[in-house]
Amino acid sequence: MALLQISEPGQSTKPHEHKFAIGIDLGTTNSLVASVRSGHSDTLPDEDGSHLLPSVVQYSAINILVGAQAKQNQIADPHNTISSIKRLMGRGVDELKSQFKNLSDVLPYEFAQTDSAVPKIKTAAGDKTAIEVSADILKTLKLRGEKTLGDKLEGAVITVPAYFDDAQRQATKDAATLAGINVLRLLNEPTAAAVAYGLDTGAEGVVAVYDLGGGTFDISIMQLKKGVFEVLSTGGDSALGGDDFDHAIAEWIIKQANVKPVDLSSSLLRQVLHEACKAKEALSEVEQVKINIEFSENKKWSGRLDREVLNALIDPLIKKTLMSCRRALRDAEIEKNQVIDVVMVGGSTRALCVREKVAEFFEAEVKVDIDPDKVVAIGAAIQANALVGNDSDGNLLLMDVLPLSLGIETMGGLSEKIISRNTPIPVSRAQEFTTYKDGQTAMALHVVQGERELVDDCRSLAKFELRGFPPHVAGAARIRVTFQVDADGLLSVSAKEETSGVEANVEVKPSYGLQDSEIESMLKASMECAGDDKDARSLREQQVEADRVLEAIDSAMADDGEEMLSAEEREKIQQVRSELAIARHNATQTQALKDAMEKLEKVSAEYVARRMNASVQKSMAGHQVEEFNK
Amino acid sequence: MPNPIFKQNYFEIFSVPISTAPDLTQLKEKNHELQQRVHPDCFANSNDAEKREAMQITSLVNEAYNTLKNPVARLQYMLTLKGVDMNGENDTSMDGAFLMQQMELREEIADVKSQSDPLDVLETMSRDLKNQAGNLVLTFAGLYAQDDLEKSREVVRKLQFINKAQKEVNDITEQLEDELI
Repeated sequence: MALLQISEPGQSTKPHEHKFAIGIDLGTTNSLVASVRSGHSDTLPDEDGSHLLPSVVQYSAINILVGAQAKQNQIADPHNTISSIKRLMGRGVDELKSQFKNLSDVLPYEFAQTDSAVPKIKTAAGDKTAIEVSADILKTLKLRGEKTLGDKLEGAVITVPAYFDDAQRQATKDAATLAGINVLRLLNEPTAAAVAYGLDTGAEGVVAVYDLGGGTFDISIMQLKKGVFEVLSTGGDSALGGDDFDHAIAEWIIKQANVKPVDLSSSLLRQVLHEACKAKEALSEVEQVKINIEFSENKKWSGRLDREVLNALIDPLIKKTLMSCRRALRDAEIEKNQVIDVVMVGGSTRALCVREKVAEFFEAEVKVDIDPDKVVAIGAAIQANALVGNDSDGNLLLMDVLPLSLGIETMGGLSEKIISRNTPIPVSRAQEFTTYKDGQTAMALHVVQGERELVDDCRSLAKFELRGFPPHVAGAARIRVTFQVDADGLLSVSAKEETSGVEANVEVKPSYGLQDSEIESMLKASMECAGDDKDARSLREQQVEADRVLEAIDSAMADDGEEMLSAEEREKIQQVRSELAIARHNATQTQALKDAMEKLEKVSAEYVARRMNASVQKSMAGHQVEEFNK
Repeated sequence: MPNPIFKQNYFEIFSVPISTAPDLTQLKEKNHELQQRVHPDCFANSNDAEKREAMQITSLVNEAYNTLKNPVARLQYMLTLKGVDMNGENDTSMDGAFLMQQMELREEIADVKSQSDPLDVLETMSRDLKNQAGNLVLTFAGLYAQDDLEKSREVVRKLQFINKAQKEVNDITEQLEDELI
């Protein structure tokens, strides 16, 4: 039906030349999807008009619910309803125990026994890894993008906390693969925010981006200059956020109510956390709030929480973020007075005492005029748009850094740093090793990430097994190992024996990630049950196409329907048009929609031809024929 | 055919003369200019081989930039351009007085927390170390110009010691400041 869309001469007649890409902010509490349309980046709403998708997934035997509805069911169905899954990304079972030492020791999920390095949560729909849960959130966002844009997506930029380590980044990328998304880039959240902020305000100079989300904290010191966004340093805590505020308040409630945390059921615990979160949010507006909780039939508690108590509860957490700020400034070799703007990002920066403390620390006013929830997705969409080649200026450049040092384990369990934190990426470093046994043809390297001296105090990333180099006497082989970190911040390792030139086979055993084979089988499983998804998808595609056809015919009729068509012709077209409109709203069959569209195309074919002629004549009017022969 | 950039030295890549004190603003601007041409994001729609090359070239540019903007790494690199390997085993003996002075400084750093105003002491140390480093760089420039590579190398060794001490001072300052927050 493309012929109906006649454009003025000189303008593009192929709307499909514009490639569609989306930016996704996969958050701990909420997720968003954004896209650049008509040169403007904005977040995309769902059918109900809400832009934020709660990052909550409810699994049942028959279906998967994602978003607001799942969130509503959380208290009633705590075991099968997963929230804050981002905090589990790239983490191992043992780590989770040490990470969630307080209240959340009693996370309302049951973990399955597994041989895999990745923890699995038991749900009514089977055991789920954090990667699969995230993939379900990503799928929902991708669908929303396709539905709104009505076109095939080229790919997506997905944001991650700047302070995410290699395992957490890899887990995010795996989730996207599982969701069938072509990942154009993993982009650091503060960098994405700076892009949106910088392009919006035109600010140039050094800015600090303070990003406190639901479960992660990032600070990035950046240099902004005419489309160039250079990260000078970054710091943070990938397990600190608004969730921890809620936990601190919930602990306070439980203490005040004089109940034992172990006596609380999963759903009661959820409810306390829920009330804690509500109280926290309310305290950004009012001085004090009343909290009521029914612990049991004969144990009802109500109390008051005011700002002063709240501040005392979360002050230690804010202090932790300020330590990271200080370190980031030092790493960037920037003095506080050189920072022109402090940009606040993430829902948790709505808490007034966070704003106050950060302003006090930087001795500057903080910028809160941008929507802290949306800015990351908006920035990601700008980058996505540029990456697929829609950026006409073509001078957007994002330069990022490695957030945590990479090292290898040496004798005595020490970590020898190979690439230090805040090194610009991509980066590549080579190191030479030798064999210590005669005839040795393989070796293993244990790669860790973190700043501490002892391997045990760093994060174990992976064991790389290098095999297949020719045997030499001990100490004679020269094995050159190259560590390459790409623009997404992901590490790969290659190795070559220098005297023979033989490339080693490198086998990666991620400490807390999925092996390639595990991802493959997950992909396979998701394809098997994708038949229904596929039908639903092609129906949606046809619906979008139908909308476009309807819009085109309506606008053409409004333009020149009166002058070009007889009353009879008009009526015929209108009749077929309403048939299509009805099919668009009622049909559950893709074929029915297709048929209705074809019918409309047929009855309006003559009209289209007349419009074409008129358009050509109009554009030729007043021109000499010779001009067109040029 | 490999990109000609792989045959250039770091100073050539950044189009600046070999020097102990290149213009840092110029380096920064040149870095942006280079990145705008070579960064992997400019090759998002290219084939895998081109993408890989973009990543390798950008890695090289980043390494070059990091080396040139860091005062000690820069001098070390200038020596490797003359065929002097800083990481070799055959280390010549160090100036005894210098070593003595370094050991004393390390002890002072270790004890600093017992001082009444440790942050002030650390600040003074940091300033002294910066001055010493500045003087050594000047010494290096003179020796390097005369092609006295052996002595140039010794100067860089001293600078490495000072760098380490500076890092310790920074780490302890950071610790103390964190405790104060």
